[in-house]
Amino acid sequence: MVNKISKFTAYTLFFLLALMYFTPKLSLYYFVEHQIKKYGVIIDDEVVVDNGLSLSIYDAKVNVKSIESVKIKDTQIQLFGFFNSVSLRGLELSSVAASLVPTKVESVDISYNIFQPLNLNAQAVGEFGEADASFDFLDFAIHLELHPSQKMLRDYRQTLSNLKKSKEGVYTYDKTIKH
Amino acid sequence: MIKLSNTKLLSITTRLLVLVLIAKSISLALMWFMPSDGVSLSVKKSFQPKYQRVDFRNMLNANTSTTKVAQNLFSGGGISITNMLLKGLYGTKESGFVIVALKSTPTKTTILSVGEVFSGYKLVSIEQSSATFSKDGAKFILLLDSSKPKDTHVNSSNTAAPELYDEPIVQQVVTRKDIEYYAKNPKQIWKEISIYEIKTKDKKGIKGFKVTRIDPKSRFATMGLQKGDLIIKANNVKLKSYRDALDLYTKIDKIDVIQIVVIRNGVEKEIVYEIN
Repeated sequence: MVNKISKFTAYTLFFLLALMYFTPKLSLYYFVEHQIKKYGVIIDDEVVVDNGLSLSIYDAKVNVKSIESVKIKDTQIQLFGFFNSVSLRGLELSSVAASLVPTKVESVDISYNIFQPLNLNAQAVGEFGEADASFDFLDFAIHLELHPSQKMLRDYRQTLSNLKKSKEGVYTYDKTIKH
Repeated sequence: MIKLSNTKLLSITTRLLVLVLIAKSISLALMWFMPSDGVSLSVKKSFQPKYQRVDFRNMLNANTSTTKVAQNLFSGGGISITNMLLKGLYGTKESGFVIVALKSTPTKTTILSVGEVFSGYKLVSIEQSSATFSKDGAKFILLLDSSKPKDTHVNSSNTAAPELYDEPIVQQVVTRKDIEYYAKNPKQIWKEISIYEIKTKDKKGIKGFKVTRIDPKSRFATMGLQKGDLIIKANNVKLKSYRDALDLYTKIDKIDVIQIVVIRNGVEKEIVYEIN
């Protein structure tokens, strides 16, 4: 019996890997691009490379309603079903946002795994400090915890005033999206 | 041969190959339904010629004004250039216009183009912040009236604006400080004014940006904008997207004149802001 289960698991894993390898990731990426275009988001000037088991996107410019909002140097997308991650490196926000937050963001890591099926987690590090965010699919609730940098505390008090400050000096933001 | 077909290895290999074949078939089926091309940003380049406003009234009234000026020259020859105020200017060295007034009647302004005469003084050229006049072979430089610029701005807006609203072209003076203030405090803009995009009939494009709320005590209200105004153009660029509006915002440091066209009560009006 154990032998049969282990055989089944091995074949399933092999099938998933084969499926992952043969999946037209580039076409899927184009499909996503067409979907987000409906919301005014267009990714432009990017170089997309299919690495077999992952997708790399280099030098992407994200435009929101035709306004260049963020440049992303490197994006790695891994979708295995049971573990999925999107890693963004070298982000630079548009100068329009400079009055709200520091524009340089080192990294953003978004992950989803089957052990936490109702949550999407994200971590970001940049000139603004460090942030941890999560999205609850059940309540459609966003929770953000920000550990601001000295620069953020010094130059962006106006933005921080929109967040709730805890005794430990962590700034939090909670919002539930109506659906 | 029979032995080989019975080996465990062949059985596993066959199963794996079948799995690979199924995976490949699924991916091919998926590919059939997926788009083969991505989306790229296509921006229609807006034609943006350098903004220049020509006041045809000056040209049409050129003869009249010359006659008047001639009379002024005769009757008011005793007026010294020190009694004159340069209230505003626009143009290059050899073309353009200036707004002048006498210190005794500072609210009574006259618009002069290059070559025209005021109180016996002929406008020769326009510089960045001064105008050169000539009289009897001597040259006189009149500096832009910069005393208490902030007060001038508020007063001119508060007093002159209601009269100017009925004019097709409204001219306002904005200080560089005002621009810097709003650039540093973008939140303040949205406290004082609300602007909402108005879509075209087919809902695919933007017709313009409508002023839905304006604080009557705000600087925006004193700058000639009114609730209900639909802003359709800025510096000769039709505002068909947020990008068009933002392009102007990002270049604001380098701009000396902002011209916006609004539709108010179904009539197009032009508001010109000269940034000092």
